[in-house]
Amino acid sequence: MRLLPFDYAVRNLGRSRTRLVLTIMASALVVLLVLTAAAFVRGMANSLVNKSAGNNVILMAAGSEESLERSQIPGSTAGIVAASLPGIKNRFGVTYVSPEIHAAIIVKDDKEGSRSWHAVVRGFLPEASLVHPRASVIQGRMPKPGKDEIMVGGLAAEMMGVPDSRVAIGQSLWFDNRRWNVVGRFTARGTVLDCEIWVPLTDLQVATKRETVSCLVVTLDDAEFADVDAFTKQRFDLGLTAISETDYYASIMKFYQPVHAMVWTTAFLIGLTGLFGGLNTMYAAFAARVRELGMLQSLGFPRRAIMISIIQESLLTSATGTLIGSMLGMLLLNGRAVKFSMGVFQLVVDYRVLLLGVAAGLIMGVLGAMPPAWRCLRLPIIEALKAS
Amino acid sequence: MTDEALVTNRNSDTPSTDRTDVFLAITVTALCANLWRFFMAYIECRNLTRTYTKASTTITPLDGLDLDIEEGSFVALMGPSGSGKTTLLNLIAGIDSPTSGSLMMGAVDVGKLSRSKLALWRSVNIGYIFQLYNLVPVLTAYENVELPLLLRNLSAKDRHKKVAAALELVGIDDRHDHFPRQLSGGQEQRVAIARAIVTDPKIIVADEPTGDLDRASAAEILSLLQQINVELGRTLIMVTHDPKTTKYAGRILHLDKGRLLELESSTASAPGIHP
Repeated sequence: MRLLPFDYAVRNLGRSRTRLVLTIMASALVVLLVLTAAAFVRGMANSLVNKSAGNNVILMAAGSEESLERSQIPGSTAGIVAASLPGIKNRFGVTYVSPEIHAAIIVKDDKEGSRSWHAVVRGFLPEASLVHPRASVIQGRMPKPGKDEIMVGGLAAEMMGVPDSRVAIGQSLWFDNRRWNVVGRFTARGTVLDCEIWVPLTDLQVATKRETVSCLVVTLDDAEFADVDAFTKQRFDLGLTAISETDYYASIMKFYQPVHAMVWTTAFLIGLTGLFGGLNTMYAAFAARVRELGMLQSLGFPRRAIMISIIQESLLTSATGTLIGSMLGMLLLNGRAVKFSMGVFQLVVDYRVLLLGVAAGLIMGVLGAMPPAWRCLRLPIIEALKAS
Repeated sequence: MTDEALVTNRNSDTPSTDRTDVFLAITVTALCANLWRFFMAYIECRNLTRTYTKASTTITPLDGLDLDIEEGSFVALMGPSGSGKTTLLNLIAGIDSPTSGSLMMGAVDVGKLSRSKLALWRSVNIGYIFQLYNLVPVLTAYENVELPLLLRNLSAKDRHKKVAAALELVGIDDRHDHFPRQLSGGQEQRVAIARAIVTDPKIIVADEPTGDLDRASAAEILSLLQQINVELGRTLIMVTHDPKTTKYAGRILHLDKGRLLELESSTASAPGIHP
């Protein structure tokens, strides 16, 4: 089959510059929207699943599997687990067992509490840095117990809704009627830890008036999850239940599936609106050329050749829009922090998200051209030639 | 000399006899072709009918038409609006199909070709000249003329030769790089004519080719069409409303209500070309 010259498709784009600009903008917006939805889901998934350590197990109070914040186990359990459970990772005599408190508390701007914010706070011991290797101090130092010192994660300011400078080293926050000085900044990029405030475990126990911890995070060496699970069942007196960190965050992810569905549905519906808008624009563009399309058929060009040329034309427009939308997505979306109930995560525009956006843009280019093109091409040639 | 005799002579062993035989064969073939051209119609319409149905209304612009058109003739189709002249032109051009009857173009029954075969047949046999030129506005005069050649298996060099020749023939080679909006109506129609002849089609059809032109331009276009008919020997069928334009045609057909009313020969037709 002989095709129309590619130049024909390219030059047709210049017939109406206004329409071209509008179509490109519409394509870019739809692609940006798809990228936003994909970056949202990908960012949330990354923070909850992908980056968690695969061989970490969380030991929490039996019956509190759905929320670490409600879980309470005696602090002494950490020693029992470290001594009784073989196969836990150990380096230089330090066992990778980290007792932690997870709490959502209200922190204040000053003593009077003129402004207050919700914050996710983790009580920790030095072992925390062993079981959470992605967390590292990037500025200042680790807080010392008994000094009312805290360390703030890279996205904690986003979580609280304050400028980053408000939680910089030297600043202070108030909770439990005490001033807590920020002495360090840490990052745990791509994990939920990044939006937390870390407080020495004993200090947080005092502040939250509890003697217990929320959980033990254990890094396994040659032990399997089944070994830990069996241990919790044998030592039912400890009242523990075990869940792998991956499964824990996957369960949270599952909890947010309706949100994902809503995000995708919204993106799909708005994308569909864009597609119908595009169809309308394309139809107007092709309807004005019905006679020309009839003439091409009268010369002997088969409908398929003309259809391919029209699709080329539409693809060129949508590809330009896709390029612009993708660039905007990279610039505006990638790394942007989004707050949700669990904490804060960053939108991720990686190659998979970009591929999805590009595919959506190009599919829209093809689908947007076919119905109006077919509507014009299905006319008998003699009717097409009569079109005004 | 019969075909049998030609075969016998071709089997002869003498080289000089071979050359004589080839010469005789060519002569006889040419003679037969000319005889066929003069005595056999190239376009044969038999009981040609075309009806259109829209909602509950059926109209019959062509009703059982019988017509022969010889190869190399210049035919003007005349008649009032709705008489069926454009319908007949479209059927001959292969952009419409008859409802019944037969339409033989040479050895091909055009009415029985599938859509794709008809498109291929059109690209080889038909050059169409429209009243409103129908040039592609985003392509230059050269590129517009080149369009039908893209359907052929030709190199860019061969296409260039043909396009240049066609543009020169219609006298617009100096405007080859102009876009249609940069040309006058007469010049646009010249480009359209170049596009119609560039593939060297057997039949050129023109639907009121001067309908949108002033008198002077119209006269130039008609002279050009007549020149193409005479010099290239192409069959030219033209729909027209203007009786003055018919002086360029060798044969004038009047249609009314889908039937052929009368036939007449123009005195201005090129001698020796038309029966």
